[in-house]
Amino acid sequence: MLDSLSASLKDALKKLAGKTVVDRAAVDELVKDLQRALISADVNVKLVMELSKAIRTRSLDEQPPKGTNVREHVLRIVYQELVRLVWASTDVKLEPQTVLMAGLQGSGKTTTTAKIARYFQKKGMKVGVICADTFRPGAYDQLQTLCQKINVPCFGDPKGQDARKIVKEGLVASKDLEVIIVDTQGRHALEADLIQEIIDLNKITKATHRWLVIDAALGQQASEQARRFHDAIGIDGVIITKMDGTAKGGGAMSAVAETKSGIVFIGAGETIENLERFDPDGFISRLLGMGDLRALVEKAEEAMNTEELDVNAMMKGKFSLRDMYKQLEALNKMGPIKQIMSMLPMGNMQLPEGVYDVTSTKMVRYRIIMDSMTGAELDEPGLITSSRLQRIARGSGASPEEVRELLKYYKMMQRTLKGLRGASGGKFNMQRLMKRFSGMQ
Amino acid sequence: MFGGLKERLQAARNRLTSSIGATVTVPADTAGTDTITGSAPDAPVLPSLVDKVKILIIDRELVVSEKDLSEALSDLEMTLLESDVALSVSDAIIANVRTSLVGKHRKIGESVDALVVASLKSALLTVLGNGFDLTEYIKTHPRPVKILFTGVNGTGKTTTIAKIGAYLKKEGFTVVIGAGDTFRAGAIEQIDVHAQRIGIKIIQHQAGADPSAVLFDTVQYANSHKIDVVLADTAGRFHTKANLMSQLDKIKRVMKPDLVIYVDEAVAGNDAVVRAAEFERTIGADAVVLTKADMDSRGGAAISIAHTIGKPLMFLGTGQAYDDIMPFLPAQVVDELFGGGA
Repeated sequence: MLDSLSASLKDALKKLAGKTVVDRAAVDELVKDLQRALISADVNVKLVMELSKAIRTRSLDEQPPKGTNVREHVLRIVYQELVRLVWASTDVKLEPQTVLMAGLQGSGKTTTTAKIARYFQKKGMKVGVICADTFRPGAYDQLQTLCQKINVPCFGDPKGQDARKIVKEGLVASKDLEVIIVDTQGRHALEADLIQEIIDLNKITKATHRWLVIDAALGQQASEQARRFHDAIGIDGVIITKMDGTAKGGGAMSAVAETKSGIVFIGAGETIENLERFDPDGFISRLLGMGDLRALVEKAEEAMNTEELDVNAMMKGKFSLRDMYKQLEALNKMGPIKQIMSMLPMGNMQLPEGVYDVTSTKMVRYRIIMDSMTGAELDEPGLITSSRLQRIARGSGASPEEVRELLKYYKMMQRTLKGLRGASGGKFNMQRLMKRFSGMQ
Repeated sequence: MFGGLKERLQAARNRLTSSIGATVTVPADTAGTDTITGSAPDAPVLPSLVDKVKILIIDRELVVSEKDLSEALSDLEMTLLESDVALSVSDAIIANVRTSLVGKHRKIGESVDALVVASLKSALLTVLGNGFDLTEYIKTHPRPVKILFTGVNGTGKTTTIAKIGAYLKKEGFTVVIGAGDTFRAGAIEQIDVHAQRIGIKIIQHQAGADPSAVLFDTVQYANSHKIDVVLADTAGRFHTKANLMSQLDKIKRVMKPDLVIYVDEAVAGNDAVVRAAEFERTIGADAVVLTKADMDSRGGAAISIAHTIGKPLMFLGTGQAYDDIMPFLPAQVVDELFGGGA
């Protein structure tokens, strides 16, 4: 999702890394490249100017701490200033609360409302949704349909005209619920009566959080709009939507800087599960190609129970086909491989498009083949002789070649994990693994 | 919507003018004094020293150098960037202005202002193209005229269709709408309500149906009922989703639209360029509609998109009511931008 911004930032940093002397000219060049990268990511122009000024003065004035060279020093400053730009992440507490959604028309409030409802529901909270959009035709139907899919009660009145009345009634109707999310009509900051409406809604709901939904493609206008919304109701969190396109969400960064709040969630996809928590360190690391391991771990934990996968045994080199089966299943639950790969620290590596799709269909095939194996075979793949192999192939409707390919893949995984064992030795070479990965197709 | 851009351009223009003016007057003065001292001995012979100097100064041509412009142009670049003109596009515009100004011979009597305005104006006009007259198009083409609307999620396709439907109805055409967004929850209900309100027939299937089938039926209906215009809605989709783009391709094959309209929002930033280019590449676009122009007084996205795909802007959406739509006339807009001193 952040491919091209991240590529241009990395290019800028690589250029710096290639320099023999890091002097004023080198810093100036880096700053200029950063400026272009950030502006073309829609970050507010004034903000970019402030940021680049800070990076330039700090790089030139501050003495690098002992033990680090100038290059590392400059890199660290860039990293720190970028993290400062996206501010802190906001805490999402699992406690009774009311959330008021605000945003421009077509930024994705209704879809996001349903996604957030799903997020809290998955965490075990009792969730309800109120539809306060009385203007757009079909808004209630849309929210109602989405809520039905996830079994969340949705309060609203498709014929009602008065959002304030609906919200009052909705609050009464959902007083037994823990988390109440209020979806509102899209509005922009120049529509005075609609701004008054959301101020009133904020008073009526006594909302714990007021989250501003921002389209990743929103440009320079983001700062201004965010400021006005902030003045009206005090925004305490920003949600970036539509990050699955090519937009880079710089507008949302500007909105965050303007409201002094943090990014709460990132929406990246049309289905109800496509919502991620936001972590500024991870976001910037991913941007600079350093990988976001924390998000990966969180995702993995969500996808698999610890009993399901005996990591310790695996680390000791006991890795059977059965483990691989579980691993593939877990991978499947974690979502598309592409998303996971983007969280791994792979530096500047670019994977050819299409690798992901091929491997994920292949994964499904592998599981089917393994379903045709006996328990003993799964535990001890060495048992598989050519007659057993024929049987497995026939049982799973696969060709013997496919079964052999699976066994080859298993051996590769086993070898990789053995390498991983000495984690401190750094033998785990992602790049080599990926090369094999793409060689498999 | 271009109010904000207008103000900024005005400011940038003043700066550009003053920087050329400043650098230019200094050499002119010294040249003047040089001539006075140098030609003093000949004074009695020739008609009059004063006349000579006058001719020299007035007819003298001055060359605008790149150095004179650099600061003013970087100001102009900032102006464009702050107005949401995408980086690549503003680079192109700046380059255009630079080449047309640098090295240009300028007579001292000629107003600097006019020079700058002319070059900016021509740069913007080149970018914005000629506009697109929909009613004229419908009048001159065999009915029904089939119009397909495309764009990414949440740009306002459905609302725009309702607005254009109302606009065409007022112009005296008969219209039918095809509810081709069968994916998003509530989309069919939304366009159904719109159609009822403006009194236009709508063809719809169930949610989840094949949009090509819906739109095919809509065209069939238009053929058998002698309807003038078919407006075909589609689900919003990102240009990165190959499957959805090929679905759009299928829709195009099945309904054979006369016009493909690309809808985007005026507030979009740099991404507007990327996605417009991708839509243009995969399914093509004949004209552009820019929505939510009331949110943003700068209109940079209009310039970016028009520059990227080279297709005319047809309408601007300027509000939530059905009549909040206006045909886009580039010449008029550019004239307005430079209104006053130009």
